[in-house]
Amino acid sequence: MKRLHLVSWLAAALVVAACGSTGGGGTSNTNSYSGKTIKLGAILSITGAGGVYGPQSRDGMNLAVKQINNSGGVNGAQIALTINDDASLQPQSAQVAQKLIQEEQDLALLGPTLSNSAVAVHPLAESLKTPILAVSTTGINIVPNCNAPSTVPCKYVFRDSLGEETAIPDNIKSYAADSHPSTGVLLVAQDDKFSSDGGTIVQKTVGQYNINLLKTIKFNKAEADLSPYVTQAVQLKPDVIFITSLGNIPSKIMTEARKQGWTGQFLGGNGFNTATVSKAAGDAGKGARSASAWYLGNTFPSNQDFVTAYRAEYNKDPDQFAAQGYAAIKILADAAKRANLTFTDLAGDRDKLRAAMESVNIQTPLGPFQFTSTHDVKQTVWVIAMDGVGGFTLVHQINAS
Amino acid sequence: MDFFVQLFTDPVAFWNSHTLLIAQIGINSIIASSMFIVLFSGQLSLAAPGFMAIGAYTAVLMDLYWHTPLALNIAAGVVLAGATGVLVGLPVLRLRGVFLAIATIGFIEALRLGVILNLPITGEGLGLKNVNPDPLGGIYLVLVSLAVVLFLVWRLTKGRLGAAWAAIRQDELAALSQGINVARYKMIAFVLSAVLAGFGGALESHLQTFIDPGDQQYGVTRAVQVLSFAVLGGSGQFLGPVVGALVVTSLPWIFLQAQNYINVVTGLFLIAVIVFRPQGIVGRGGLAIIRPWWWPHRNVRAPSPG
Amino acid sequence: MDQQILNAIFIGSIYALFAVGYTLVFGVLDILNLAHSAVFMLGAAVTYSLVVNHGQAFWLACIVGVVVSGVMGLVIEHVCLRPLRRRKAPPIAALISTIGLALIIVAAIEQGQTGSFFAWLWVDGPNSVAFPAGTFPNPTWHVGDLTLEAAKVAIIPISIVLMLVLGYVIRYTQVGRGLRAVAENPRAAQLMGLDVDRMISLTLVISSALGGLAGILFGAALGDINPYIGRDNVEVRGLAVIVLGGMGSVPGAVVGGYLLGFIEVGALVALGSSARGGVAFAALFLMLVLRPQGLFGAQLRERI
Repeated sequence: MKRLHLVSWLAAALVVAACGSTGGGGTSNTNSYSGKTIKLGAILSITGAGGVYGPQSRDGMNLAVKQINNSGGVNGAQIALTINDDASLQPQSAQVAQKLIQEEQDLALLGPTLSNSAVAVHPLAESLKTPILAVSTTGINIVPNCNAPSTVPCKYVFRDSLGEETAIPDNIKSYAADSHPSTGVLLVAQDDKFSSDGGTIVQKTVGQYNINLLKTIKFNKAEADLSPYVTQAVQLKPDVIFITSLGNIPSKIMTEARKQGWTGQFLGGNGFNTATVSKAAGDAGKGARSASAWYLGNTFPSNQDFVTAYRAEYNKDPDQFAAQGYAAIKILADAAKRANLTFTDLAGDRDKLRAAMESVNIQTPLGPFQFTSTHDVKQTVWVIAMDGVGGFTLVHQINAS
Repeated sequence: MDFFVQLFTDPVAFWNSHTLLIAQIGINSIIASSMFIVLFSGQLSLAAPGFMAIGAYTAVLMDLYWHTPLALNIAAGVVLAGATGVLVGLPVLRLRGVFLAIATIGFIEALRLGVILNLPITGEGLGLKNVNPDPLGGIYLVLVSLAVVLFLVWRLTKGRLGAAWAAIRQDELAALSQGINVARYKMIAFVLSAVLAGFGGALESHLQTFIDPGDQQYGVTRAVQVLSFAVLGGSGQFLGPVVGALVVTSLPWIFLQAQNYINVVTGLFLIAVIVFRPQGIVGRGGLAIIRPWWWPHRNVRAPSPG
Repeated sequence: MDQQILNAIFIGSIYALFAVGYTLVFGVLDILNLAHSAVFMLGAAVTYSLVVNHGQAFWLACIVGVVVSGVMGLVIEHVCLRPLRRRKAPPIAALISTIGLALIIVAAIEQGQTGSFFAWLWVDGPNSVAFPAGTFPNPTWHVGDLTLEAAKVAIIPISIVLMLVLGYVIRYTQVGRGLRAVAENPRAAQLMGLDVDRMISLTLVISSALGGLAGILFGAALGDINPYIGRDNVEVRGLAVIVLGGMGSVPGAVVGGYLLGFIEVGALVALGSSARGGVAFAALFLMLVLRPQGLFGAQLRERI
């Protein structure tokens, strides 16, 4: 037995050596990938406040890894993805990133889940010349200016999540064209970056569509009862209430506003785009509109495949975060496939991967996917409305320009 | 346990891939020292995160608008934190125990929610981008600072000041009757603690690309964390809080295997340490701070005041 | 009358109910029980889980929720407080041990997801949920400009009755006299033949049951149950309430609760939303500086 093992090891070693020598020939040779491992590290908020989103991203990513590895890998190389929890804390997020880059020697990173962690992690990855693909962050100054206020574009930072700077104006524009509202009130959570970013974008946008913003009402996330704020908004009798906030807050505001008898239109941002919010808002949320990077019923074939596979794997429907996590792995796999990796020179491989990412052009659940010249997403935007029973209906489809 | 294995088998690689963690431990140790000084003088003040915020925002804003050198920025943060310490200390220091703790919580939350989140200059809820951060290289500055801070705190506690503080902590009335100017020494401790917290905050901001006004940074959550450094480590000796900061900050790394249940494990750890070593990991006395008069205290011996 | 006044009264009731248990423990033990907010959340979570995941009737689930919360009081006493008393640790140690327990409770709910270890307790992880419509009758009336929602309105009499009962028990019954004796002087109480440990256990059971009930009412009326409702929404405000009313004073906590409700809503109306965030804490700070004994703390010695 022992001898047999030795023989097979020797044989394997010879094969590897042979492949190595041909691979070193300089021409693109897919065989140099076989038997290798492409190490990826995801930094996600599995516990803590971001735990509402992180696990969905994780499930989407794991599904993509499983599919790719089961169908021969990336030119024969297997993807090894580690999911690392940052507990929704900014310092811990950066510490984890450093470990993944320098100790685990991951080829590329994904994440982090929350915008305020991203503004710590992305500059770090940039300075350590490691590609990082944001999968859920939608705030301002994510790409390309990860080192804002410096205007030098970050070379290694990408994102496949739709920025609020695109989504919120698209949403307001389409509703203004449909219904010509004249007054609005903004309810914004002031103590997290994501919500504050969204509020700023609403304030900048409404003027273009002749909506008079009567009042901006700020509140803190840790607020026991939002009724006083809602009362204040409702008493102004606006046509539209804009809500930029996270978690369950949009649904709480909607429920309360409807109870107080207000019948206008809710417009929001990425905070609306999860089934949990639609479900929690129920009837009160019916018709509330937002622009989304993805929706369950979108008819791209790659999305239908994704939804079917996701349901089979996890026995539930995917959401936007799962779709973006899934797409992220596909994007990295495609780039890795074309990057002609050496698997010996890590810094060189990271650079090759970065360059290959810039020319990604694949089908994903988000639709045909490319990065813009600023590493942001270029994709179809869906204006969707809550359907009152935990799902969404399509209102408009805005194709990538 | 990989964490320890690597720490002992390959310390160089460990250092290279954990500089952020080590720097955070260093900063937390400085802030824990700030907590130590108030506890050592018998005051349960939780104001440290407020002073950290003042130090951090001052330093970053000076850099942003006036492009002044780092040393000056940090110095300005420290001075402003100290000055605020005087202003806050004057009214609150006659409070004791839990009352002081709650008043200082009022201070930090009023500062964070009322001021920082509403001033355009601090970036409100958007946070503040630091233009010249040095997350990886800042570690040397942090470690040198920590050494200096620890030396100073050690000297202070061994000197006349420390003796007065210890006397006040053990029995305020007795200290008063010995002719110790209790109010003055308490004020000195409070302001020194503010200065150290301001320094820690300014230093921390230098490592961060983004100043986040969140609760975990400058709110009650941070205050409770800093308190746990001091109480777990032991507040009778200047090294106690540093050990506490070291242990608490590395907990998520030590218990990596706990994965999603990390907070269950952390909670069990806190309870176990405090139940089996109520005096903290280091040292014997020092916790005798807010003891009601009837709470038995046979086992607690503080360092003798002299 | 304005809707905002109703809003203030309503949230004031929740604050008061939460703070009564908080202040009771402080009155008897001189300890801040930082696990109280976790019990508040647990009460709501258990009730929700029984109704939605285990198909029980709402009223039964409420009772179980209150009982479980009360039992958590015993856990707090036996795990976090009694061992420290035995070891003669100073009360600051109890701050840390109760924080530890709160962390565990919150993490257990947060990790309660389908297929996980805690799935029997909770399946919604960190997500926020609400009782499905129809779980309990909840009509909404519109009177002029006012909106009255049954679940919110009901909290007001429930809180007042409970607090009156608690006040009566403390003031006029054997048990209440025992509690007051322990609060006054535990050693003397022991010499008088009172079982001090039992009295302390009882205090924690009452306090935690009230905290759990407050959580259930909060979850039912606000449609918001998640692992963080205690920590984020009431823990620090609860401190403000008991300080405003006078630490350890039960009637003080009631008045403090309503006062904080009016301060918060009043600040929003009068000063606008940006200034309002820090107002509750500024009030807390000022109250401690100007009148540390609180509104009702005239006789600091006799507390509950």
